[in-house]
Amino acid sequence: MAPQVFNLAQTPITCHAFSPDHSQVAVSLNSNDAQIYTRQGSSWTLTETLSEHDKLITSIDWALNSNRIVTASQDRNAYVWQQTPDPDTGKLIWKPTLVLLRINRAATHVRWSPKEDKFAVASGARAIAICSFDPENNWWVSKLLKKPIRSTVLSVDWHPNNVLLAAGSADMKARVFSAYIKEVDDKPAASVWGSKLPFNTICGEYASPAGGWVHAVAFSPSGDALAFASHDSSISIVYPGGPAIYNIRISSLPFVTLTWTAEDTVVAAGHDCQPVVFTGSEGGWQGVGSLDDSSTAKAAGPRSGLSGGVGRLNSVAFSTFREADSRGHTGGGVSTDTKLTTVHQNTITSVRPYEYSGGRVTKVSTSGVDGNLVIWDADSVSAVAGRIGGMRV
Amino acid sequence: MSNVLRPYLAAVRSTLTAALTLENFSSQVVERHNKPEVEVGGSKEVLLTPLTISRNENERVLIEPSVNSIRLSIKIKQADEIERILCHKFTRFMMQRAENFIVLRRKPVQGYDISFLITNTHSETMLKHKIVDFIIQFMEDVDREISEMKLSLNARARIVAESYLTAFNS
Amino acid sequence: MDTAFRKIDIDVYDEDVLQEEELFDADPREPAQVLSDAKQRQVAVRSALAKSDVLGALNIVLENAPYGPNVEEAKTVNLSTLLNILNTTKSADIPNVIKGLSQDGQDTLMKYLYKGMALPGGGDINWSILLGWHEKLTEVAGTGCIVRTMTDRRTV
Repeated sequence: MAPQVFNLAQTPITCHAFSPDHSQVAVSLNSNDAQIYTRQGSSWTLTETLSEHDKLITSIDWALNSNRIVTASQDRNAYVWQQTPDPDTGKLIWKPTLVLLRINRAATHVRWSPKEDKFAVASGARAIAICSFDPENNWWVSKLLKKPIRSTVLSVDWHPNNVLLAAGSADMKARVFSAYIKEVDDKPAASVWGSKLPFNTICGEYASPAGGWVHAVAFSPSGDALAFASHDSSISIVYPGGPAIYNIRISSLPFVTLTWTAEDTVVAAGHDCQPVVFTGSEGGWQGVGSLDDSSTAKAAGPRSGLSGGVGRLNSVAFSTFREADSRGHTGGGVSTDTKLTTVHQNTITSVRPYEYSGGRVTKVSTSGVDGNLVIWDADSVSAVAGRIGGMRV
Repeated sequence: MSNVLRPYLAAVRSTLTAALTLENFSSQVVERHNKPEVEVGGSKEVLLTPLTISRNENERVLIEPSVNSIRLSIKIKQADEIERILCHKFTRFMMQRAENFIVLRRKPVQGYDISFLITNTHSETMLKHKIVDFIIQFMEDVDREISEMKLSLNARARIVAESYLTAFNS
Repeated sequence: MDTAFRKIDIDVYDEDVLQEEELFDADPREPAQVLSDAKQRQVAVRSALAKSDVLGALNIVLENAPYGPNVEEAKTVNLSTLLNILNTTKSADIPNVIKGLSQDGQDTLMKYLYKGMALPGGGDINWSILLGWHEKLTEVAGTGCIVRTMTDRRTV
């Protein structure tokens, strides 16, 4: 099935999160407000604006069971939004609850824990705030994971057991922490990551051989494997039981976001403007292909960009340039064609699971700097294995 | 355009494409600030290895990448004194109007003639591959511009000299 | 009045700040050993080149290339060995040689190409040859290879 493309704005979408029933989506359009769009047929209309932050919103997460939204921003704050009836009109409105983050730099990423009783806020203060609700004061209190983070934390992800937390940071390390909070959590069962897990236990620290900031981390659905994407154009899969790390270097631009769609499949996307699928198991990993299929391309000339060239170099503009150069004239200057051959026209900022069926993610959603929101069929990769010629793994 | 130029520009293009992988990154040194890390240089871990591409000792490009900005500096070919003066005047003219060029820096990096500063805001509001095209086009044109100016300067000098000397030729 | 104190960069004295040498794992070998390794390799490369085995010669020089501080001399030796190979390779052979290299080898070769171009000139450096190799290597290994040259702190 062809991907569904929605253009929400001309500005970048820094992050997106769907409501539990997929009828609404919360996005930040590179601004201080979080905006909720409601689906009407094949388009989305703006229905609500959540404005409380006074700096760019960096991340949004929508709790699927408790229907709460958490937003994190560069103004060092996070808010939890809950739908409550307006005392005057009785209409449901989103009301913010304060979170005592105790961080003094930007909040960069936020994710609800699987049980939705905690959330983790990554920050530029070289710390991760683990927040839990304090009913007495009606606010969220936080506990900080600090050691041994040495730089801005760029992303976090929860283990399915609600206790372990993975974090990727700009000091080129992906780490697994215990975020056990006595008041909230039951004692976790022993897993491949360890058995005794008091708060701030380091269960693992991993890096890519060629360095690079760790842009994205994610636990596999079972929680027994960890994937991370780093700025050296590679993704790494860690099996702590192994102990094995599979590092797949790609020949194109780095990924900034990834998600598992099944125990053996990862979808990663980033500066290359297309979601790429990797599969494997404890025995080894490899790249399979891209979700961005040629049949969806606009009539923008030959698709030399994706299939023929390596690393997004052979764009149409590039070949015009090359021709003009080797022929020794610049007839008409640079090509007037401004379109890339991919669906997203700029960096993809976030990829998230959209629809589940039978324990697998069947659809994923992506949002990009080009203001597009795209829903992809996660299984429609098979046909492209041959076309991804330039990608060596 | 000669064929020697092509691999040089191709190398600049691929390096620039690789470096233009920017994201919004708030300063981890100063609260609530967001500034180009390549200019501030406060946090070593968000700066990457600077790369140089050279065609010869007089023509080279320096690309300094970081997490949210890159600085690209060009050393323009200057074969003789006239070209040196023309190049100086030309870049000075541009840099005095830097805000109209958006990505232009007001001052070149030491050892280079002209510098660009591209931040994540630029790569968000403009198409990334078009920024690359612009830089390449600029590099092509600046050489041509300067050699054209040199020719017309020489031609003018000749006319001036001729009309001055005709006064003594009667 | 003395105002020099205003210009002191106090952030450097923050104990949490990351130092450059903490960003990568140091080479376990001693500098003297690295240098002798590099010199041995120079000999091995010469004999490989005599048999016109360019790929073998490149593999020798790119494997365990010296990196990090305190090994400047070994780096210089290794670079000149490498430039010697690059300069003697026929341009028609380049694509096949590059395809024969491992991914690590390609990444390291890219680092050396940029290092060669960054030098002020003189000696063995021939820019058009370096640019030719760069173009061919980018065709095979893509922009990812250039990104890795930027991110890798183990500078050669």
